[in-house]
This record gives sequence, structure tokens and C-alpha cells, in this order.
Amino acid sequence: MSRARVRLLQALSIAVLLVGWEGIARGGWVDPLFVPAPSAVVRAFGRIGAPALAGLGDTLVKTAIAYVLSVVLGVAGGILIGSVQAVRQAVNPFVIALYGMPKILVLPWIVLLLGFGSAPAVVYGTIHGLFPILVLVTGAVRDVDRGLLTVARAFGARRWQLYWKVVLPAIVPTVLAGMRLGVVFCLLGVLIVEMFAGVRGMGYVMSSLANGFQAPELFAATALVSTASIVIVVSLDALNERLSHWRGDVR
Amino acid sequence: MTVAVIRAGLLLAVLAAWEIAGRLGNPLLYVPPSAAVPALVRLLGLQSYPDLGEHLLLTLREIVAAYGLAVVAGVACGFALGSSRLLGRAYGPLLAALYAVPAVVWYPSLMLFFGLDAASKIAFGFLLGFFPITLAVLAGIRQVNPQLVTVARAFGASRATVFRTVMLPSMLFTLVGGLRTGLALSVIGVIVGEVLGSKAGMGSLLNHAYGLFRTADYVALVLVTLVLIVGSDAAASVLEHRARRWTE
Amino acid sequence: MSELIVVDAVDKRYRTSSGPVDALRGVSLAVGAGEFCTLIGPSGCGKSTLLGMLAGLVQPDGGRVLIDGRAVDGPDPRRVATVFQDAGLFPWRTTLENIEFGLELQGVPRERRRAVATELLGPLGLRPFAGKYPRELSGGMRQRVAIGRALAIDTPIVLMDEPFGALDEQTRLLMGEWLLDIWRRTRKTVVFVTHSLHEALALSSRVVVMTARPGRLKAVIELPMPYPRLMESADLVTLRAKLWSEIREESLRSMGET
Repeated sequence: MSRARVRLLQALSIAVLLVGWEGIARGGWVDPLFVPAPSAVVRAFGRIGAPALAGLGDTLVKTAIAYVLSVVLGVAGGILIGSVQAVRQAVNPFVIALYGMPKILVLPWIVLLLGFGSAPAVVYGTIHGLFPILVLVTGAVRDVDRGLLTVARAFGARRWQLYWKVVLPAIVPTVLAGMRLGVVFCLLGVLIVEMFAGVRGMGYVMSSLANGFQAPELFAATALVSTASIVIVVSLDALNERLSHWRGDVR
Repeated sequence: MTVAVIRAGLLLAVLAAWEIAGRLGNPLLYVPPSAAVPALVRLLGLQSYPDLGEHLLLTLREIVAAYGLAVVAGVACGFALGSSRLLGRAYGPLLAALYAVPAVVWYPSLMLFFGLDAASKIAFGFLLGFFPITLAVLAGIRQVNPQLVTVARAFGASRATVFRTVMLPSMLFTLVGGLRTGLALSVIGVIVGEVLGSKAGMGSLLNHAYGLFRTADYVALVLVTLVLIVGSDAAASVLEHRARRWTE
Repeated sequence: MSELIVVDAVDKRYRTSSGPVDALRGVSLAVGAGEFCTLIGPSGCGKSTLLGMLAGLVQPDGGRVLIDGRAVDGPDPRRVATVFQDAGLFPWRTTLENIEFGLELQGVPRERRRAVATELLGPLGLRPFAGKYPRELSGGMRQRVAIGRALAIDTPIVLMDEPFGALDEQTRLLMGEWLLDIWRRTRKTVVFVTHSLHEALALSSRVVVMTARPGRLKAVIELPMPYPRLMESADLVTLRAKLWSEIREESLRSMGET
């Protein structure tokens, strides 16, 4: 069974899906008000192009800010919690509980607190992205090879050198994995706030299109934001691959 | 022992800080725990929302419907994809690629298609629960030792017997984990759907309380919903442990 | 011969879940400059604990450890370098970068430390592997990188905790010969922990036999014969028998305990 056959089947399935969908829509078997034909969706791209791209840009900027905050806070917090046993024992159960808690419950409160601007989206996106990174990094720091720390101490490493030369390089793969996971969560958080109480951004654009029953435009917008998300994740994967190659990891 | 004391102390400190912040801050924005408790009593006494029971029941029904559909479709889809290596290799990555998209992007389309009532919440809960279940079935099938299947067939076992005696025990561990994740996500899906737009259900009550600045009632509603969510996960966890014991 | 390392009536006890364990009791030892001193004894006799004290990684509960007349109160990379049992290489560093590690911690400029590490590649037999990562190296090569890392900081004392313990017999013999060659050229003071009678006899100028737990000194055997040594020579055969009878007794005791 070759790679080519798998690829062919994938491409064929997507093509059949699109063509079948188009046929069903044109044949009048479904209400075009709810399920527009793919060709109508493509045409809708032209109509929503500029505002949708502006909305996407707005969403991505908020996501980027939330992402940077998540990574910085997650890695710093994870190093603190992971490397100080007393802090870990006291705080970790709460972190795990917060990680597992459905964040949707605090959404209205955050909007109440921070209003309708970009702030609630950034904060809510950060809450989503932060915890997976925090939990992963905490575990990785706790599990850093004790032997390597002993070696570094034997060679006279000071405290900051232990962190800089041993702990940080040792957790790089985990941080990268957390960054891959976190970005989708950040985008999720930002989109939810925009749908809930947005005045701008892709989530707002999409929920207005849904409320206005503009199905082709809504499908086009959905395709746009999905593509953006996949592109971001795939490029993070590619970056990860290159970094691990550079680090000499063997898969 | 000391750790437990520190943890309890930390929890008390957080509650105390919350109490102080709540009393000093704008009462519309911050609710101290001392005000949340009476609000909870009023809520449970059906004073603040007399129809709490109906909303709770609706949310529960949505969850059951969404999860039931997700289990049926996820298991069926997982076995269909797992039955052939070609199908698994072709569609597995496509399914995984959908994981790279935040699921909430599908919600406006579902709302457009199914309307503001229960159907769109069920659809979203289904969508969120479906993926982990399908992927768990696929992963579980990969854990089955094909040699054992061959041996069982050679001894004349029927397909059904092979499934019951060989496949199910070896994939149960992964499968049950996926079913639990699926439940958690179906629950979240339904509640997210309700918060983002609905006329009934716990999410709509949360929105109502928030919209009218009834912040204390909002906190009480959050606590009740949290019990629902944590309770469903706890039940799933009990079942999970039981199933895993049975495998060993 | 001046006494570079002095261990004076040292005790160490560890607290474990099943009560305190005496690792070392009243151990005294002096090692002169340029010696190759080997510690040998049954598993759990505290050899590694003693070595850890010399490295400044373990604090004694009683007694004192002096190096060059000064009490050891922590790792001192200007005087002592350590080679660990499982190599302990940093997986994200290449051979060269691992060898440079100690110099890097001391703030030696990049060109300077690169030059020192490159110089060492030849005698380590690692020239073709300068840019490889540890996982791309064999066990013997990894151990040579670890030794290179210790040699790079050019301390008068090198401690080795069963450096060849994880290697197969052939590699072990070759590594022993190689180490002997390095030692005779650099004339460092080596304290070496091993399980292997052969290693002890082939390499050491002195062998210290330790007792089963709690670790004490049982016997000290001087080996004045020249290198390279022929294991079949009469005096080594006699010494081997003597050493074996000392160790055998302790190993039996330690086996009986478990």
C-alpha cells in the first residue's frame, strides 16, 4: 500500500464530497438558504473578502497577544512550580483543577469585567492557552534528569546556570509541544469571546452572518478561519521538525 | 499532612482575598463568597429562578442526546475506518487535521442550520464528542495484536466471538478513555452552545443573570452548572475504573 | 609524596523509608598527588558516597574531607573533576559542546574553550565525532566524551565513579588501557571506583577495599609494579588472589544481608 494511493484516496474523497455537495445543492434537494453549493461559497468569498480579512487580521492579532502571554506565563510558571517542590505540592492540585474546569462558565464574568473591546478576548484566549502549557512544562521540569543536574553541580554550575544550561534546554521539546497545543486553544478562546460579545473580529463576523442567514458568506468565513488555523499549526509543526532536526533528535 | 494544611491554607487565603476584593469592589462586578452562599440558597430554593428544574433538565437532555449520538457515530465511524488500513491511513490524518481547527468555528453554521433551539446545541455537543471517540476506537484497533486474531480464527472462532474475546479486551483501555473524553467534550459543547445563544437551558440562565447584572445569581448558577459538569465526569471516571479493572 | 586528599574519620548516614542506613562509618584515607587510587567493594558499600564527598556533592555527617589542606564545602571545579557512571552527557549538546561544558560554566571565551576541546579530541579518539550528539555515539565513545569533559577543565584531581561499568568486557579492557595511557601522560591524581578486580589490578597504584554496609576500610594494598602490567606475572597473580579473598568475604556478607 503506497503513499500515493493514500494521497489519491484523500484527494478523491474531498473531490467527491465537493462535487456531490454541489450536485445536491443544485438539484434542489436541500434549501440553499441553509446549505449553499460550494460554487456559491466560492463566489461569497468575493463579497466578504475585505471585511472578512480585516476581521481575521483582528482575530489573529488578539490571538498572537494571548499566545505570547500564554507561552511566557506558562513556561515561567511551569519552571517555578516544577522546580520548587514546596510550591509544586501546594499549588499543583489547584492548577490541575483550573486546567480541567470548563472555562465557558467564567466567560460572561470576564466580559462583564473587561467590557467589549479586545481585552476580554485576549484574557480569555490566554486562559485557554496558558493551562495546557503550564501543566506540560511543570511535568517536564519535574522530570528533568537528576543525573544531569548533578553533573552540572559537580562542574560548579551556579543556580542560574542550572536553569539556563540544564533545565531550559531539557524542556525545549515539551515547550514546543505545548506551543503547538496552545495556539489552537488561544484561537478558540478569542473566537468564543468574539462570538459572545464581539464588536470586531472573525468570531463577530461569523455570528453576524449566521444571524443574518447569509449561509454562503458564513461558509466562506468558516473556511477562511479554518484554513488560517491549519496553516498556523502546520507551520508550527514544520518549525518544530526543523528544530528537532537541529537538536539531533532521531524519530 | 503538612502539605494538606498548606493547601487548605492557600484555599482559605484565596477565598479571603476574594471576599475582601468582592466587598471593596463594584458589587455588580465582584461577588464575595459571603454573598454567593445566600444567592445559591435562593437559587436552590427556586426563588431567583423558579423554572431552574426545567432548564437543568433541558441541558441534561441535550447532553444525553449529543453524547448518545456521538458514541454511536464515533464507534461506528472508528470501526469503519479501522476495518481497512487504507481507509485508516487516508482518513485518519484528515480527521486529525480537523483537530487543528478550534471547534467553535463550526458553531455559527450549526446555529444557522439548526436554529436557536436544542438541536444546534445537540449538534455541537455531538461534534465535540464525536472526534475523540472515533480517534480512540482507531487507536484501540491498532493495539489489537493481529496474531491473536489469526489464532482465534484458526481455532474456528466466529467474527463475533473474535470481537468479544480478542478485540474488545485489548482495545477497552483506550476505548473507555476516549468515551470519557468524549463525554466531557459533549457536555462542554452543549453548554458553550447555550451560552453563545439560546432561549433555554443552564447556559441561557447564565446569560440572563449576566445580562441583568445579577452577578450573585450568576455565581450561584455557575456553581450549579459546575456540579453538573464535575458530576458527569466523576460518573464517567467510576465507569472507566470499573471497565479497566474488568480488563485485568 | 604530599597528601593531596585527606579523608578524616568520615561518617554518613541516609534516612530511608525503612529507617536510617549507615553508608560510611569512620572512614579515613589519604591520597597522594599523582596516585591512581581505586576504591573497590561490594555493592552498597558507600564507594560512591565517598566519591561524592570528594566531589563536594555529599556532605559528611561527621569527620572532614580536606583537599589540598582545605575543607571541602561544595563542588570545586578548579581542583576536582568528576566522571559519572552513566556518562551523564547533555543530549542536546554535541561531543565538542559536551567537552566544553565545564569551561563554559567558568566563563572561558568561546574560541579558547573550543580550542581546548578540539585539542582533546585526538587523544580521546573522537575526532570524527566532534559534531555528533550523544545518542549517535556508542557507550564507549560516550564515556570518553565524559572523560574529555573532566579533562577539559584541567584539574589536578579526577574522580571516576565506575566509568566503564556499563560497557561490555572487550570495550572495558580497551578503555582501561586507554585511560592508563592518558593518566601516565597527564599525571593527574585519580580516585577510581570499580567492581572489577581486573581494572583495579591493571590500573591502580593503590587499591582500597571497603567493607559491606556500613562502609569501612578493610584493606589497603599497594601496587608498586610498573605499567603496563602483565596479569600473568607472579606478583600480580598473588595479589589477585589476596584481593579476591578480601572482596569475597565482604561480597558474601553483603549477599547474605539481602
